[in-house]
Amino acid sequence: MPEALRVIYSAFRMAMLHWFADPQWVIPNIIAPFIFTSVALTLFKDSTGPFGLYAVLGGGMMGMWGNTLYASGFAIEMERWQGTLEEVMAAPSKLLHVVAGRSVSNAVFGLTNMLAVFLIAVLVFRVQIEVDDPLLFVTTTVLTLVSVSTLGLIFASAFVLSRSTQVLTNGLETPLYIISGSMFPIALLPFWIHPIAYVLGPTWGVDAIRLAASQEYLSQTFWQGFDVNTAILLDVVMMMAITLAYAGMAVVLFKVVEKRARIKGTLVEA
Amino acid sequence: MSRLRIFLSSSIFSFKAQFHWLNPPMWLTMKFVLSVSQMAFFVFVGLFIAGPEAIPFIAIGNSLQSVSWNTIFSVISITGHDKWDGTLPLVLATPASRLPLFIGRAMIHILDGILSVAISFFFAAFLFGVNFAQTNVLALTLTVFLTAFTMAGFGLLIGGLCFHLRNPMVFANIFTYALLLFCGVNFPVQNLPQIIQPISYIFPLTYGVTAARNAIAGATLFDVSLLLGQQLVVGLVSLMVGYFFFQLFERTARKTGKLEEL
Repeated sequence: MPEALRVIYSAFRMAMLHWFADPQWVIPNIIAPFIFTSVALTLFKDSTGPFGLYAVLGGGMMGMWGNTLYASGFAIEMERWQGTLEEVMAAPSKLLHVVAGRSVSNAVFGLTNMLAVFLIAVLVFRVQIEVDDPLLFVTTTVLTLVSVSTLGLIFASAFVLSRSTQVLTNGLETPLYIISGSMFPIALLPFWIHPIAYVLGPTWGVDAIRLAASQEYLSQTFWQGFDVNTAILLDVVMMMAITLAYAGMAVVLFKVVEKRARIKGTLVEA
Repeated sequence: MSRLRIFLSSSIFSFKAQFHWLNPPMWLTMKFVLSVSQMAFFVFVGLFIAGPEAIPFIAIGNSLQSVSWNTIFSVISITGHDKWDGTLPLVLATPASRLPLFIGRAMIHILDGILSVAISFFFAAFLFGVNFAQTNVLALTLTVFLTAFTMAGFGLLIGGLCFHLRNPMVFANIFTYALLLFCGVNFPVQNLPQIIQPISYIFPLTYGVTAARNAIAGATLFDVSLLLGQQLVVGLVSLMVGYFFFQLFERTARKTGKLEEL
């Protein structure tokens, strides 16, 4: 197995072991998306139209977002608290690969939140969930998960230099839910926010997931005038292009951050 | 005099302690970003579903709920940090009177919470166009103060309960967010399933958001006095039950010799 993959897998495995050892820690990561979705479903209760599915898919998406964001922050913060950050930095394995493994594991945990949101929606709120194209739905969800994880790497690189990662993750969580249009069309947001939304890969991902779930969303997407399959393809192309750009940025940022941390010697007290 | 000194030092230290993990510029950022982002999220969801008429209801509800970040999350966090940072044995080893020590932990968070609500009202008015022209200022001011005070009582209740648990931060998160669902912040309590509506009335915030909406619509202090009275009773009962949990924990910990490993 190539070294990078081995490190990513090891970090992924370690994160899973940590989770199984103390599973209650997943609660703070997923509580906000879970409650936000329940509030939205209660608000949607008496509405007609595809609002219910909007809330459920949005909630699932937020679960992935929230978990990845927290994971990026805590991947570094926990090492700092436990005094193991220096060892991780000093190891010959690249920090980027270590954080990547954790980021993927936490996005996977985010999927469990999506499942929980689906179950609550169906069992408690009686939302009828019918997916038009299950294969495309699963494919777009997995690709979105990759995109969210890659964005998590960029956040994590910044978190290496900051002591306030917990605060930053708390502060970034809800703005990201808003800007990516998780639970309402981006068109509702002020115009100056739209460009920020369009450089977030998951914005296109959630659009593709919605279209794969129901063609009714076509009238609310960026790709009005195209057929559904073309619109999904365009969403996926946009998302993957942005994700590749994120990956490139993450590689550069981690190099810069690692170098700066080594030169300044203030890693733990950052 | 000694009790007052303990009360004041407990207040100041519990507030200063949060800057162990939070620096002042970040504290200010959080104060503004958290207030506006949470409100904006639900305002846009409401706008999407129900149109512009939903905005004032949601914006006012979220403004009041912002108090819970200080009075619930921060107050419960004190218990968590006492356990993690190894300061709990020192706190319990002091001969200081327990009631002012316990209540003092929440006091500055109450003032901080009032500041959060004021900032949120500013956003509600200037970003989301909530009309405060009819507001009865006295009724609204008293409602905000009482909400902060009673929610701190509720925070101490959960904080007291959390002495008995291994990880208070999990509960800090659960209770802070659960208020969004149970307290009529984004929709009337009556929209909840009937079976869970009674739960809403164990939270002081439920009374506070209704009173605030009424005061902003022009209701007088007399009009909202029943709601405020109910809120005060719930808050005081919460505080006393929280203190009972704290004392129970201390007694159990002394008997079993277990403080942090519960």
